[in-house]
Amino acid sequence: MADDEAAKVDATDKVDANDEADKGDKVKLLKDMLYEAVCQHGSDSRLFTQKDLVDLGVVPANDPILLLSLIQGLTDDKLLVASTGPTGICWRWRNREEAKKYTSLPNDETAMVYSVIDEAGADGIWNRTIKNRLNMHEAVVKNCIKYLETKGYIASMKNVEHPNKKMYIKANLAPSERATGGPWFTDGELDTAFIEELKRLVFEYIKTKSAYLGSQGGHRGDAASNVRAPKRGIIKGSGDSNGTRGNKRAATDMSMDEGANGKEASPVVAPRQRGGKVFLPLPAGYKKYPTVAEIARFINIEGITNNTTLSVPDVQQLVDVLYYDGLIEPVRVGARRGYRVTRPTRQSTVSFQPGMGLEVDMLGPEPRGNGLTEVPCGRCPVFELCGEGGPVSPSNCVYFVKWLDLEDAVEGAAKPTLIAAP
Amino acid sequence: MHVTQNAAELCSLLVDEFHGELPSRIYSTLLMRGKSSIQQLCQYTLMTPRQLRHGLAVLHQFNLLFNQVEDNGMTLYEANPDHTYNLVRAGRILEMVETSFGPAGKDVMQSLFTSGQTRISDLVTAYQGKSGRANGLSKQFDDEDDEDNKANGMNGAPSQSKKLEGPVKSTAELNSILCRLVEAELIDVVHRRTFISPEGILKAVDKEVTDKFFPNGVKGGKGKIEHKQHIGEALRSIRGESKSLKRKLEQNGPAAKRRKLFANGISSNGFSNGVHDDEVDPALDAKQVVRINYEKCLVDLRNRRLVQFVTELIGDITAYVYGVLLHLLTKRIPRCRLDATMDLDQDGQETDQQGPVFVTTAELLDQLKTSIDLSQGLGKTSAQDIATKAAEKISEHPPKPKLWIEETEVDGEASEDESDDDNESDTGYDADYKPAVNGTRVKFADGVAPKEQRLDRTGQLRQHLLLLSNSAQGFVRHCGHDEWTVDFAPLMKVLREAELDSTIERTSGRDGMRLVRILRDKGKLDEKALHSIALMRKPDVQKKMTEMLKAGFVHVQEVPRDNKADVKKSIFLWFCDTDMSFKKITDNCYRAMVRCIQTLEVLRQNEQEVLMLTRRTDVKGREKDVMREEYYERYARFQDNERKLFAQVMRLDDLVALLRDF
Ligand code: SF4
Repeated sequence: MADDEAAKVDATDKVDANDEADKGDKVKLLKDMLYEAVCQHGSDSRLFTQKDLVDLGVVPANDPILLLSLIQGLTDDKLLVASTGPTGICWRWRNREEAKKYTSLPNDETAMVYSVIDEAGADGIWNRTIKNRLNMHEAVVKNCIKYLETKGYIASMKNVEHPNKKMYIKANLAPSERATGGPWFTDGELDTAFIEELKRLVFEYIKTKSAYLGSQGGHRGDAASNVRAPKRGIIKGSGDSNGTRGNKRAATDMSMDEGANGKEASPVVAPRQRGGKVFLPLPAGYKKYPTVAEIARFINIEGITNNTTLSVPDVQQLVDVLYYDGLIEPVRVGARRGYRVTRPTRQSTVSFQPGMGLEVDMLGPEPRGNGLTEVPCGRCPVFELCGEGGPVSPSNCVYFVKWLDLEDAVEGAAKPTLIAAP
Repeated sequence: MHVTQNAAELCSLLVDEFHGELPSRIYSTLLMRGKSSIQQLCQYTLMTPRQLRHGLAVLHQFNLLFNQVEDNGMTLYEANPDHTYNLVRAGRILEMVETSFGPAGKDVMQSLFTSGQTRISDLVTAYQGKSGRANGLSKQFDDEDDEDNKANGMNGAPSQSKKLEGPVKSTAELNSILCRLVEAELIDVVHRRTFISPEGILKAVDKEVTDKFFPNGVKGGKGKIEHKQHIGEALRSIRGESKSLKRKLEQNGPAAKRRKLFANGISSNGFSNGVHDDEVDPALDAKQVVRINYEKCLVDLRNRRLVQFVTELIGDITAYVYGVLLHLLTKRIPRCRLDATMDLDQDGQETDQQGPVFVTTAELLDQLKTSIDLSQGLGKTSAQDIATKAAEKISEHPPKPKLWIEETEVDGEASEDESDDDNESDTGYDADYKPAVNGTRVKFADGVAPKEQRLDRTGQLRQHLLLLSNSAQGFVRHCGHDEWTVDFAPLMKVLREAELDSTIERTSGRDGMRLVRILRDKGKLDEKALHSIALMRKPDVQKKMTEMLKAGFVHVQEVPRDNKADVKKSIFLWFCDTDMSFKKITDNCYRAMVRCIQTLEVLRQNEQEVLMLTRRTDVKGREKDVMREEYYERYARFQDNERKLFAQVMRLDDLVALLRDF
């Protein structure tokens, strides 16, 4: 390989020599000067127009012909890359090491393949795209890629957006966020355990910061009313608790003409409250509902995400998921957009700690049930088929039998065999 | 009401359940065939005209039919599915009347349910002759109530059906209760057009208006608008006819004050103390025929439902305040949904008939029970926190209810400290375990607190109201200084969606709900966008979406990439059509109700022999003593199941009511 390279360099030298040896030296010097100057004036992504290059003042008397030949020379050396900018043709520089890689490549095909991969940058490129772009035969592309890979110039990579495509990237680049899927992906797979745990932490954070952990009973001297479990009024409806009440009663204890007695309240038992504690909503206009920025800070300070730093947009994404889960809601107070927990009084007061694992039951309270979700038909797999005269009907329904606790009573009833118990 | 097949089946079953098989057969024929004359019904049902007339009379009595006299003198009958469906709601309405008007009110209402529309004099006679009539229907309603109580763990409520001896003690009391119900618009008057279907009325009015104002036909845009206005007005006046009794009461009714006092007396403690008041009430015209006004009942049921939502989403004290607010506010709201021709002008704006409806803080305060401690139910720090740490902040914003909380910015250790102190002051007895030093601090804080922290009652009330008006759902709108109102239409939309969400969450899991909510928020999305927003694995999303597609919660649309419409290249966009989901759920509810009632019928068949036995006059009423143990157990179990099934039907109706009627 090295021979090849040398041969090439020789060849160019010879051309120069044919012209005029002295002039050739001068040109070489100017080329180096121009290259150095360009490197000094910006990163390798900066695009230089012809005017920019002239203004560098390297070329004597601003001779455009000379400049062009210098540029040509540098481009041949792969030290300058031509591309089209907004104002026509532009150039950006490439460092010598990279240039060497180019010049060391055995043939034009390989160089072209390499340059396509190079241009794709951190997003990587699909091998089919390479083929199409260069209009080359598949076998050729394959060979080139193989060569480049063994050389260690490029590496194959996985892109979460196209998990089944074979992608390539320059070996010395890290795949971009877009390709890796950002912090939520580990090895190209969505890391659901990580997300789940983080969700819990964020939820816990929002919950404790946006609701007040207090007791629901009286606040003044009537301690008697505090002893009772705070949720009883809601769960059991009005009625039998006259004895234990203080003189001030919770609203649910009263038979109110507006029916606040919660008779229809969901039969779901509220999470067990430790020591009669319950989360209460904060007064309207509360100014410290946590914002996404605060949550992000909390996560990064806690260092729960071992060495991945979550950006604010990442956290926003997580918070949005919690919102779509109906666990939190945005509140705007003035210009501040914070988040608060929904249904505070129904929230568990047992706090979640990192590392507690995911065995803790579901996040937030159970969803409310309603008539349809409770009745067997609402969850029945054969709901659409069921009807008088059909294979299943109320007269032989096993689900209702179970629901009404009639199993022993209706042994005789034909049980449809085509369905499994739900 | 949009009558689907399931709804029709349900209505027929309900008629069967409450009024027997004969009317039910006629009824379902009417539903199936549309408007029919007696002759046609004869053909369809193969019944004799005598039977038919009998059945139709029953149906009429309960307002389950419309009729219409054609020009040729023939009467056409038509089913009234809305009213029929309301049979399901009887239990809930009775429950609501009982909480508002006490057992006596419920009793009267129940009589109206059992006898359909009734002349007042007949009602009085019935009460005079009544002692311990245990009608099958009324019993059933009671059973439902009991079941409800049980389901919520309130045992030991005395069975209502036993004390028919007389929640209503005198005819004067009966009269007074009727007055209250009329005033509340829960019952209204039957008038000559009650039995004409809305379309029929519209047609007649249209004709009248055209004849009277536009003999030469309606011309031009302006003419059309005027025409519409005239029609709206005429319809309103017809609708108003049913309120004639109320208007009369209002005219010669004494000061509103007396009524208010009376109503409070009943509602707050459930006993009727109205003996003196009764005499002040004018006797109602005995010839008037009254019936239950479901429209207004729905408004009250909606209030109850809203209070439940607030209890769930915010807290019970706030919910109580909300209940009182709704009660005051809806006194002047006759129905849940406005009618396009009658209540809206051409811009879709509500025609202002009564001026703005709102409640002031002061009005509310007058209605709140003194036993309610309004300082509860809201987060705050305990007294010592304010005294020691947050004092300055309070002084910065003295009138605002914002800065009671200090703990957010305090570091971990200190806030733990605070919550300890919190416990102490809350539970009182803790103080015994604490060293004296701490004790003094508490005392000091307590001494300081009341001045700084405690708001007066109005302030506390306003806090709850503000909380409601700042809720994400918009339960209340603060519409002027200390003036509060509720925007029902948008609010109910939010709550309907919330109900849909919890239905989805229950059936398709939280993942499913998340996906649906994303779609509702963002509109149509392809799968890729969906799983990256939801942070879910692609196969999981696919599985969930197909599952929900089957359940009718989401829908998919194919968008071809080019005009070759190659399926492989097409983009598939997911979306959710919330209204479609509502309809689907509502229909599923009808269907589930049908299944419940059918199951009940199956149970009846199974226990036929036992039930036959209980129908014997020597057994009735003394089942437990007379029947053999084994038989009685079966009977008891049947009754239990019957209650359970009816309760379930009512719970299904709660959902239907929310999705369809509120
Ligand atoms: S099979 Fe049973 S549970 Fe299923 S729809 Fe029919 S009656 Fe309902």
